[in-house]
Amino acid sequence: MSAAGAPRLLDTVTLAGRTAPSRVIFGPHETNLGRGRALSARHTAYYERRAAGGAGLIITETASVHGSDWPYERAPLAADCAGGWREIAAACHPHGALVLAGLGHTGLQGSSAYSQSVLWGPSGFTDAVSRETPMIMEEPEIAALVAGFAAAAAAAAAAGLDGVELDAGPGALLRQFHSGLTSQRADRYGTDRLALTREVLAAVRAAIGPGRILALRLSCDELAPWAGVTPEQAADQAAALAPDLDLLTVVRGGPYSASAYRPDAHTPPMFNQDLAAAIRAAVAGAVPVALQGSVVDPAAAQAALNAGAADLAEMTRAQIADADLVTKLRAGTPDRIRPCILCNQTCRVRDNRNPIITCIADPRTGHETADPPPAADGVSGPGRVTEPGARTGQPDMLVVGGGPAGLEAARVAAGTGLTVRLAERSAGPGGTLRATATGPARERMAALADWLEAEARRLGVQIDLGTEITADDLDAAAAAGTQVILATGSRPVARFDPAISVDALAVLSGAVRPAGVTEQTEPQAAESRAPATGPTGPVVLPDGPVVVFDPVGGPIGVAVAELLAAAGRKVAFVTQDPVAGTLLSLTGDLADANVRLQRAGVTRELRSLLREVSGGTALLEDVWTGAQRRVGCAVLVDCGHRLPEETLYLARPGTPRAGDCVAPRTVAEAIREGRRLGLAAAGLPSRPSHLSESNLPFQYDPPGPGSARDPRTETGQGARR
Amino acid sequence: MSGAGQYRYLFSPLRIGPLTVRNRVVFAAHLTNYAQDGLPSEQHAAYYAARAAGGAGLIITEEHSTHPTDWPYEKLIHGFRPEVIPGYQRITRAVHAHGVPILAQLNHNGGQASGMFSRLPVWAPSPVPDPLFREVPKAVEEHEIREIVAGYGLVAGHCAAGGFDGVELQCSHSSIVRGFLSPATNRRTDRYGGSLANRARLLLEIVAAVRAAIGPGLALGVRICGDELIEGGTTIDEAVEVARMAADTGQVDYINTSIGVATATLYMIEASMQVPPGYAMYIPAAIRRAVPLPVVGVGRFKDPKQADRALAAGQCDLVGVVRGQIADPDFTAKARAGEAARIRTCLSCNQECVGRMGLNRWLGCIENPRTGRESVPLPAPRRGGRRVYVVGGGPGGLQAAVTAAGRGHRVTLFERSGRTGGQVAVAARVPARAEFGDLVRNLAAEAARRGVEVRTGFEVSAAFLRAEAPDAVVLATGARPARPWWSGGHPRVVDVREVIDGTAAAAGSVIVVDELGFHQATSAAELLADRGCLVEVITNGMVVGQDLGVTLDLETWNVKAHARGIRQRTDVVVLGSREEDGRLVLSVQHHPTGTALELACDWAACAVPVQPEDTLWRELRDGDGGGGAGGGLPFELHRVGDCLAPRRAHAAVIEGERVGAAL
Repeated sequence: MSAAGAPRLLDTVTLAGRTAPSRVIFGPHETNLGRGRALSARHTAYYERRAAGGAGLIITETASVHGSDWPYERAPLAADCAGGWREIAAACHPHGALVLAGLGHTGLQGSSAYSQSVLWGPSGFTDAVSRETPMIMEEPEIAALVAGFAAAAAAAAAAGLDGVELDAGPGALLRQFHSGLTSQRADRYGTDRLALTREVLAAVRAAIGPGRILALRLSCDELAPWAGVTPEQAADQAAALAPDLDLLTVVRGGPYSASAYRPDAHTPPMFNQDLAAAIRAAVAGAVPVALQGSVVDPAAAQAALNAGAADLAEMTRAQIADADLVTKLRAGTPDRIRPCILCNQTCRVRDNRNPIITCIADPRTGHETADPPPAADGVSGPGRVTEPGARTGQPDMLVVGGGPAGLEAARVAAGTGLTVRLAERSAGPGGTLRATATGPARERMAALADWLEAEARRLGVQIDLGTEITADDLDAAAAAGTQVILATGSRPVARFDPAISVDALAVLSGAVRPAGVTEQTEPQAAESRAPATGPTGPVVLPDGPVVVFDPVGGPIGVAVAELLAAAGRKVAFVTQDPVAGTLLSLTGDLADANVRLQRAGVTRELRSLLREVSGGTALLEDVWTGAQRRVGCAVLVDCGHRLPEETLYLARPGTPRAGDCVAPRTVAEAIREGRRLGLAAAGLPSRPSHLSESNLPFQYDPPGPGSARDPRTETGQGARR
Repeated sequence: MSGAGQYRYLFSPLRIGPLTVRNRVVFAAHLTNYAQDGLPSEQHAAYYAARAAGGAGLIITEEHSTHPTDWPYEKLIHGFRPEVIPGYQRITRAVHAHGVPILAQLNHNGGQASGMFSRLPVWAPSPVPDPLFREVPKAVEEHEIREIVAGYGLVAGHCAAGGFDGVELQCSHSSIVRGFLSPATNRRTDRYGGSLANRARLLLEIVAAVRAAIGPGLALGVRICGDELIEGGTTIDEAVEVARMAADTGQVDYINTSIGVATATLYMIEASMQVPPGYAMYIPAAIRRAVPLPVVGVGRFKDPKQADRALAAGQCDLVGVVRGQIADPDFTAKARAGEAARIRTCLSCNQECVGRMGLNRWLGCIENPRTGRESVPLPAPRRGGRRVYVVGGGPGGLQAAVTAAGRGHRVTLFERSGRTGGQVAVAARVPARAEFGDLVRNLAAEAARRGVEVRTGFEVSAAFLRAEAPDAVVLATGARPARPWWSGGHPRVVDVREVIDGTAAAAGSVIVVDELGFHQATSAAELLADRGCLVEVITNGMVVGQDLGVTLDLETWNVKAHARGIRQRTDVVVLGSREEDGRLVLSVQHHPTGTALELACDWAACAVPVQPEDTLWRELRDGDGGGGAGGGLPFELHRVGDCLAPRRAHAAVIEGERVGAAL
């Protein structure tokens, strides 16, 4: 596989005379960890954790270089970042990582909501998303912008950073000048669309000198060929700018393709590889090229390097999911890397609500200052060593349920040295996470279920499949001194006549399948985990039109509709909302999902309440006007909310429980709660102890700045070094 | 008649338990997003103090959360932390300085939340997901109910220590107490579910705990939802019964009211100008008949006369005036002084108050640039008495003139047309949007009071300005319609502005093209339908009027569109137009599928981006002397509003204020 002379991901790389310990980049991204417009102690801890895990090059959250730019509330402002940059440099450099300051200005793609000031743009182009129109920049604004870049770069250098990365990506003002979509200027910035970027590069180079890294993030395809930057134009742009640069990161996207930059799993990984290869060929060695774009698998990243597509790989989400990615690669244990499944559910935080960045699979991400590292996350060394089963021959802990909550609880507890038994009723672990990992965009979810199971087994968890636990078993465990955790998952709600309705998860799991879909198209071992499978095998969905009822607006309803439409079924998608999949705005899939449904021929029955199903039709009612109509409905797939499976809990109230059996939610909550219970079982703090500070009778994770150095964090990282 | 004498009841004092209020105007509880790190801020104190200084009878703060499982939005005050007390004291000192009592509102939002911020399960009576947040809550167990009750008591104690005159329990539009009261969300079979007595048990336990925490010397109010406006929800009869149960405890001093559920029917809680004022008064009226306590009525009160009439009619004992005092903190003082005409009347446009709340931004006001900035001192005037010319009489120019005149400058405002008001005046010609016109009516009246010389029908040229050579010129020349590129100059492809102001006599079947996503297209469509046209609104967006959701106008728009037979088509872009058999044919593409469509009509009315009217700016900038931004001019030169970049009215107002203050 490896091409002669191609670098390895783990090789060093030298840029502007500075050597990064690996070729794995942790790229700039929104975190909402900021304090005001400054970088916070939480930022420092967040980046340090990735540096400790082996990242070669870290680019901090892009800071606005001028006060006219305030694209989201917690967007850093370079003028407020010197202190944060200094602390981040001091924290990351001992691990060998190089750190660049991300610098940018979002121009007409920003927001006036926070600055209460007019946006800047090359021309009066109205943004497709915000529908805001900028003022047209004149000479004074352009001069201020160039000066802002230079001042910010000088401040970053003075703070001890290794250089800067300038943003000319899908949301950047520099790119808006590059593009015929957004620039119709007649002056020299229009006749030469790179003129502004050249001036900025020259000013920044003068500010940081030759011994620091000057990097550029360049959108090389705006996916709007009628007027936008095309790959061919971008190749010329890259070649023209290359002599001024130390690193070029190839990205894509523009004003009409906001979701194309870091899409979820509906877009296959490595989507920029051909683009990067073309740009790398165009720059002809004048500057090293970094590959971006759903690069989450180290083997695929290495293959891209082997193929000559790039010199470095930006693996941001992969390191959001596993901060120790490079360390685990170096240790020869790539299979131990916690996989990024490209779900975008909690790491894509450009949202008005200002969610804190985190990862559904690693709840510690974004909470590094408050959330102690479990020893189980360490690359080596147990946390607490106990004599396995020394007291009674019984395990220290019994986990009931093998979904993500149960597996995470077992994994974390076992990692601290506890002996753990996990009992799962069905024939396969992974719970709903694995059972519904079907279809092109969802099959990656199985990788997380696999990882949880493999790690639990590696740490010695005894997994008993096909094992039903009773209340008597709980009593016996308690008598033997075994701690019990319930993670029994959820159950469907009987909202409709079972003769004409089907549970959405049964459709996704393959327990109920449309006619004509054969066993081969199902994921492996479907029969071992499909709860609704009858004694004679999978149930066949009745013929005729299908109504997909989705009152939730999450990924499930859309996936079910797509699956059935792909099987050739006539599908009506019923939602009370004005669009399908409302909650997908967080993952970036909202507009794309609606496009996919329409292309698949799914009829979207929008802002509609489902009143009844009878006589082969469903009665729908407009949520606002009350107007009623009927659509064909031979069978209804219910994508509505589920209820906790709490039979065992109700038999023994007060037993610790996690995940859906508390309240059916998502994988993120299941893993977060499983982890807390695993830590608590080991007697480790699962939450910061504010109780002692304020005598609060509750668990509570307050807002505000993280403490600069949490002693538990120090201990945990010491154990890993 | 002058002064307070115009009002029979508004300025009569009232006892509320241990308190006496000097008038009946309540600045009722509402979110502000002013909290920082979960604690009340300096801005809170300044904000409430401004309304106290303006004469409000009673102030009730925004909600204080009683438990860590309650964190539905980022900038919630975490009242359960003892660190809130210094912030509480700052607020109460600032308000008490004006002799006005202030209560704190206590709340747990229950299932009307997500775990996004708390990282904890959401708590509710039953696992019924909220219509907005859509997260299945954890059905609370008895020990957790005890924790909830204890949380209310804990926070009530913090409020007492913080100097509040009492507390109000929000049991109304977003509350775990409402969740327990409502049959729609309470499916319990234990002693907290089933009968109304059981569903009200949590409320009564909380009342007892809170009264125990605050003692007899402070006021305790209960805010009740009189009608949830949701299927299977609480309606007025049960609400009256709950009020009676609360009153019967003998521990409650007043009842506040509300309507709707914040996460389902918010458009009826913070109703825009589409909903008639006083729409919710049947609720306090019914409760007042049943309980011997003072009752607060709310619902788009924006005029002191209207408030006085509600009191006179016996509908309520106190009137909540929230947006009215957001827009004008001196609402009450001006009424008392007999200067009600000077009140900067709220538009109920919801753009910068309600709209910003939903987007997690600090609360502001479209027509009051100081709202939300009370704690930020104004810059000192450079010097007074400068001669200032303002060109353009829309909201930006009017605001610049008003502010500059208020800072002691001599201001002349030139308006090309026959009247001031700009695009706001045009928008207000649509009957359902008439109240929006108060923005420029208020400003024009204020300009007159401040001695601004207004010259209408006067076109200003660069030569005129150079010759006049005032000290400063503010350009507020607005924007002009731009024909879309696909119109081909067709005379029946027009701007919605021309339809609304009557310049274009659109008739027959009309396609309204919505590329702006706000009121422009939907207003024109409504007007055209009322004129008898057959109307279809098409948009390149996923929803017609997508931003109407922010101002809570989407529901009423759709109801009105349905009633008028207005059709809506989404996800289409216009690619061309042609004349065929005397009809206008638009070629459009459904962009998700690429499907081509031909839409025939008689007229097309376009709500598309407009162009800055910056001719004068360019002439001044590029004229002799050059140097940009008036460098070679005999005066200081500024631009505000649409002539800088076409935006909504608020941008014009804040820029007018900013420039006017900086002169």
